[in-house]
Amino acid sequence: MVLVAEHAAETEQQDRFAEEAIGHLDTLYRGALRLTRDPARAEDLVQDTYVRALRYQNSYQVGTNMKAWLFAIMRNLFWDRFKGGRPEDVSLDGDGQFALYDTLRDPSAMPEADVLDRIAAEEVVKAVEQLPELHREVVLLVDVEGFAYKEAAEVLGVPIGTVMSRLHRARRQLQKLLYDYARESGIVHSKGDEA
Amino acid sequence: MNCTDCLEKLDRYVDRELTDAELNEVRRHLAECPPCEDLYRLQVNLRRVVKVCCDQGVAPEQLRSRLRQILF
Repeated sequence: MVLVAEHAAETEQQDRFAEEAIGHLDTLYRGALRLTRDPARAEDLVQDTYVRALRYQNSYQVGTNMKAWLFAIMRNLFWDRFKGGRPEDVSLDGDGQFALYDTLRDPSAMPEADVLDRIAAEEVVKAVEQLPELHREVVLLVDVEGFAYKEAAEVLGVPIGTVMSRLHRARRQLQKLLYDYARESGIVHSKGDEA
Repeated sequence: MNCTDCLEKLDRYVDRELTDAELNEVRRHLAECPPCEDLYRLQVNLRRVVKVCCDQGVAPEQLRSRLRQILF
């Protein structure tokens, strides 16, 4: 009888884990789509993420951030499977310095805030998908999923400073990509165009 | 606070990752510096637009069914 009760409790715990995990499916799938840029690969990546999560469910601490835990599994799988190894091998961080200031020096390089609202959603997604993966994944975690820097750092296995520098660079790249698109499609004209 | 200090903290300001004291300093600077205020508005909008545009779509139903079979 004790064994039966134990088994029932285990099954209940397993079901609770599965329910909570599957509650993050849409979010994970969208993240996988942005990472792989391919629906079939995104499906594979998500399925493998859940298989691995199930296998290692004992390492998940109930009450902690399951979305972050699943994202960590998924991005590690992504790098292993599609990028041939650990992302640290493909460092884009250079000297890690913030290149913050040229935006102010060149005001024409800065689109007005409301220009962004006139750009179609698929163009914004396209711009995000053009970012190098190391930058794209930080944008996904912080800007799309709303993770705090500390949580994003834990998912990525890097220091908070690295999250900040990658995020900063990613946003600058995004500004430029979207501004270039806005100019090319006539949403905005630069001073040079008017002359 | 000057513009350089403000820009260095702008990402963290937008992301609510500053201490209260830092946050107040940035807020005061933005109130009196239109170029930094413009950049701040741009950053906020960029974050919002990226969130809205990338947060659309649901997982295919077949994937959901396969996962339910695996998980339950």
